[in-house]
Amino acid sequence: MNCEAYRRALDENPAFDGGAGHIAECAACRAYRQSALAFETTLAKALELPVPGLRMPELPSVDGDNVVSLEKRRRGILPGWFALAASVALVGLVSFWMLGSPPQYDSLAEEIVAHLDHEPAALRVTDKAVSDRRLHEVVPANIANLDQAGSLVTYAQTCKINGKLVPHLVIQGSNGPVTVLLMPDESIDQAEVLEGEGINGVLVPVGNGSIAIIGDKDENLEPIQQRVVNSVTWSA
Amino acid sequence: MNDSTAGPDRRGRFDDTVSGYYPDMYRYAVWLCRDPAIADDVVQESLLRAWKALDSLKDDAAAKQWLLTIVRRENARWFERRRLETVDVDDLTPAQEAVIAESPNDDVADVRAAIFSLEDDYREPLVLQVLMGYSTKEIAELMELGQGAVLTRLHRARHKLREAVDFEAGGAGAVDER
Repeated sequence: MNCEAYRRALDENPAFDGGAGHIAECAACRAYRQSALAFETTLAKALELPVPGLRMPELPSVDGDNVVSLEKRRRGILPGWFALAASVALVGLVSFWMLGSPPQYDSLAEEIVAHLDHEPAALRVTDKAVSDRRLHEVVPANIANLDQAGSLVTYAQTCKINGKLVPHLVIQGSNGPVTVLLMPDESIDQAEVLEGEGINGVLVPVGNGSIAIIGDKDENLEPIQQRVVNSVTWSA
Repeated sequence: MNDSTAGPDRRGRFDDTVSGYYPDMYRYAVWLCRDPAIADDVVQESLLRAWKALDSLKDDAAAKQWLLTIVRRENARWFERRRLETVDVDDLTPAQEAVIAESPNDDVADVRAAIFSLEDDYREPLVLQVLMGYSTKEIAELMELGQGAVLTRLHRARHKLREAVDFEAGGAGAVDER
């Protein structure tokens, strides 16, 4: 191997470890190798750009057959014609949405209840917790500090409520999944009951923000509410 | 129904697959399109596409290559949709200057600026090799090139970068044809 071939091999891949015989005899190529490796270190640092936190897009439902969704529970008590009418309405709603106009809500409470059916995959009965990493991505320290003690968080997603990105968590209650929305910027004067078919919910003021907690209609929310409110501290 | 394809498990698998490779997806996107804001869009589109196509990923060990391939295609689609050309420009954009300003030191800043100015054909294989740890064969497969072409581009890319930053290559100019 000559100098040109050796240096070309290094330029193609600095991890090249051939040519030992050549560099043993060639001081210039030994120096070239040292220099190439030093450059490679700088190059690697230059390519390693800082990465912003993972912002997950709203993922469409692909297959939710084993999802315990509020919508499904409702479907069981509704007549067939209603499903057809609802489908027509849904097509209209989707068309409307695709034209660029987001649905309008009269109140924060209404938007929260509507949001429950937006992510049916969130409402599942499971004992599999989301990873700590995932939880910290969704509830970063600059939003809130979350003490998970006693809560099994099985879903964590960043969602848009009232135009703001907020952590959407699901914990497991005694009657199934319980949705928790942490809204540090939604200030309310007093607690509000969240109403909807088959659900039982409450929107409670916490500091300068509020937290929505929604479970099955038979879920006893009081202990959950107490635990959740005590576990959240808004950041600044 | 197979649980592996059902909603909740699917979502768990998706989160596990994506969370580990998201930094690679983002950095690859930035170096492909050379703009962090566009890269963010490209990654969002890629995540959606990956979610929809998750069942086509049969082997989780191949997830990184699968995700980077999606990013590559989404980047091409992004420019196609907007009918923009991926032209190389000499002047750095404000977005690129902001990225360079975040560099830990001047040497890294100089190399970052030089990478932004490198032609697409040279920049991409370098990113794949140095940042993603890809072999020549893997780069060739992803870029649909021969391995010889990949090696040539890598060789030229490093030469161009060193020239651009005036990096002193020890012994350069003293090629001994032994």
